[in-house]
Amino acid sequence: MKRSYRGVILLCAVLFLNIIFTQKAIHQYYYEDYTATVIYAILNIILFPIALFIYHKEKNV
Amino acid sequence: MDKNNKIPFDEDNYTHNINKNNERKLDRRGFMKTMVGAAGLFAVSTLPWGSIAATELMGLREKKYPKKEIIDVKKLNIGDAFEFAYPTDHDSALLIRLGENEYKAYQNACTHLRCPVFWEQSKSELVCPCHHGFFDVKTGSPTAGPPRRPLPEITIQVEAGKIVATGVKRYET
Ligand code: FES
Repeated sequence: MKRSYRGVILLCAVLFLNIIFTQKAIHQYYYEDYTATVIYAILNIILFPIALFIYHKEKNV
Repeated sequence: MDKNNKIPFDEDNYTHNINKNNERKLDRRGFMKTMVGAAGLFAVSTLPWGSIAATELMGLREKKYPKKEIIDVKKLNIGDAFEFAYPTDHDSALLIRLGENEYKAYQNACTHLRCPVFWEQSKSELVCPCHHGFFDVKTGSPTAGPPRRPLPEITIQVEAGKIVATGVKRYET
C-alpha cells in the first residue's frame, strides 16, 4: 500500500523549528533580551499541539 | 551417528533464525510518534528559560549589585590581570589593568561554552583556550573563534587605593 509521507515531512519541519526556537531562546536569554526569550519559549510550546494535530491527521493516510 | 548427520528439517532459506518480530518497530507511524514526543520535549525544555525570563521582566529590571573590593591598586601592576568572583562566588571574573588609571573587568566565562577566558599579555587579548576564542580587551566583544556574544563587563571604581566592583553592565539592545 502506498503511504503518504506528508506527515513525516511536516513533523520534521516542526522539529526543525523547535531546534531553532530553542537555540534562539537560550541565546536571547544570555543577551538579557528577556522579551524575546519569552516569545521563543511560547512559540516552542505552541509547536507541540501543532505536532499532535499533524500526527492525528496524518496517522492513517 | 546417523541422526547427527542429517539436516534437521527441510529449509529453503538461511534466514529462518532471524527474529522478525521487531521488524516494524520504527515504521512511519512510530516515527511520527517519536517526532511528536520530541516536540513535547523541546516545549518543556524551553519552559524554565521562559519562566526565568518572565520573572526577570516583571520585577528587577535594574538589578542591584553589591559593591565588592577586588584588590589593592598597588598589588596589581600595569598589564597584569587578577582573577576574582563577582557578583556571586560562582561567577568568575577577570580584572585587567591596562594603564595607570585604566581598568577593565569582565565575567570571564567564555560566551561560547563557558570555559574560563585568560588574559594574554603579550598579545593584549583575552583568549579562551578551549576552542581558540579571542576577545577584545577594550570592549569584551569577540574578535575571533566561535564566541558570538561579548563578555559581560563589570563596572569598576577606585576607592581609597582599592579597586571595587560596582555592577555588571547590561547589553545594549
Ligand atoms: S568555550 Fe571559549 S571558545 Fe569554546
